[in-house]
Amino acid sequence: MSRFEESAPARGGFSYDLCKRNEMLMQKGLKPSSYLKTGTTIVGLVFQDGVILGADTRATEGPIVADKNCEKIHYMAPNIYCCGAGTAADTEAVTDMVSSQLKLHRFHTGRESRVVTALTLLKSHLFSYQGHVSAALVLGGVDVTGPHLHTIYPHGSTDTLPFATMGSGSLAAMAIFESKYREGLTRDEGVKLVAEAICSGIFNDLGSGSNVDVCVITKGKREYLRNYMLPNPRTYVSEKGYSFSKKTEVLLTKITPLRELVEVIEGGDAMEE
Amino acid sequence: MDPAKTIPLEGRTDDLLRFGIHGVKSDIIEPHPLQSARRSAKQTQDEMKKKILSNTYGAAFPMKMEMDRQILSKFQRPPGAVPSSFVGLEAFTGTMEEFGFEDYLNDPRESESYRPVDMHHGMEVRLGLSKGPPCPSFM
Repeated sequence: MSRFEESAPARGGFSYDLCKRNEMLMQKGLKPSSYLKTGTTIVGLVFQDGVILGADTRATEGPIVADKNCEKIHYMAPNIYCCGAGTAADTEAVTDMVSSQLKLHRFHTGRESRVVTALTLLKSHLFSYQGHVSAALVLGGVDVTGPHLHTIYPHGSTDTLPFATMGSGSLAAMAIFESKYREGLTRDEGVKLVAEAICSGIFNDLGSGSNVDVCVITKGKREYLRNYMLPNPRTYVSEKGYSFSKKTEVLLTKITPLRELVEVIEGGDAMEE
Repeated sequence: MDPAKTIPLEGRTDDLLRFGIHGVKSDIIEPHPLQSARRSAKQTQDEMKKKILSNTYGAAFPMKMEMDRQILSKFQRPPGAVPSSFVGLEAFTGTMEEFGFEDYLNDPRESESYRPVDMHHGMEVRLGLSKGPPCPSFM
C-alpha cells in the first residue's frame, strides 16, 4: 500500500509551500495583501410557486470598490442557484466546483438535482476546510420535493429558512423581511420585497452598492433578471458630447449557420473491432 | 502520535545530493494547520466507512473489498515519464466519480518547478533499494 502511494502522481489543489515564507514575512512586518471581498447583501425568500434570490453587485477590496457590477448569483444546476458572500474567489471557486459535481451526479443518476444534494456537498466541503475557505452562501432552488432555501456559513453549518439574508448588509435587509414577509406571496410581491430588501442593504451598508440582481426559480423555469433595478445611475455626461469620426458602414447582412461537425446516430452499432 | 510527525530513527530519507540538507524542524512543525487535517481526513473517512460496512454485513465483506483494492493498486506502469492511470482502482473506490479542486487547479505538471520523475530512482524506491520519495519537492 505504501508503494502505491509513493508512485501515485503528485496531486494538484491547495499547495502549502509558501505558508512558512508568508509567516516569516508577516513577522518581519509586511502587511498581507488585501483580497477581493464581496461585503455584500444577499437575500432569498420562498414564495408560493418557488424561490426568489436577490443580490447587490458591488465587490470591495478594502476601502476601494473593485467591481461595480459583479455577479453574485451563481449557477449550480438548471433548478438551483446560489448567492455568495465573503471572499469573491472562494465563493466562485466553491460554487463552480459543486456545480460540476452536481452535473457528474446528474449524469450518474439520470435525474434532476435536489437542493439538499447541493447543500450537503457544499457543507461537507466547507467543513473539511475548517472555515479557511470563507464563503457564506444562500442556496435556493425548486426540485421534485418542492421549493427550498438554505443558508451555509463559512465553517460548514447550515440553516433551512423561509427567508434568509447574508453578508454585511444582512441586518438592513433582514429588517425589511421581518416586517413585510408573509407566507403565500405572489411572484410580483416577492420580487418587489426582495428588491426592497436589497435596496435597503445598498443604501445603508458601505460594503453593498450599485445594482440589484434578482433570480426567480419556479418548477421547470428560472428567470435571471440581471440588473433588475439600477438605483445608482452614473450621472456624468460629457458636455462636448462624443464624436465618432469614422462612420461605420454595414457591408453585408447574411447569417451563415455553422455546419454541425458531429453527427448523432440513433441506434448505431457500438464500436466494432 | 501522528506518524507523519515522528522522526524515524532508522534510516533517514535523505540523500544530500538529490534532496538537499534535511531539516528536522520542517518535518515536525506543519506550515498550515489544514495540511495534516486534509491528509488524515480521507483516511479517517475510509476507516469509518469500513467500520460501518463490517457492522452491517459482517467482518468478511470489508476484508474482501480491501483485498480487491490491494490487487487493483498493483497494476501500475514502471515509474517514469508516463504516469500510471489507476482506472480499475479509481472505479472500485469511487474516486473516478469524484471531482475536486485538485482535478483542475494547480496541476503539478504545469507548475514552474516541475521535474519529471527519474525512472531509475523511482524503480530503486519501489524495490526498496533507496529510501525517500521518488520525486523531490524542489528543483
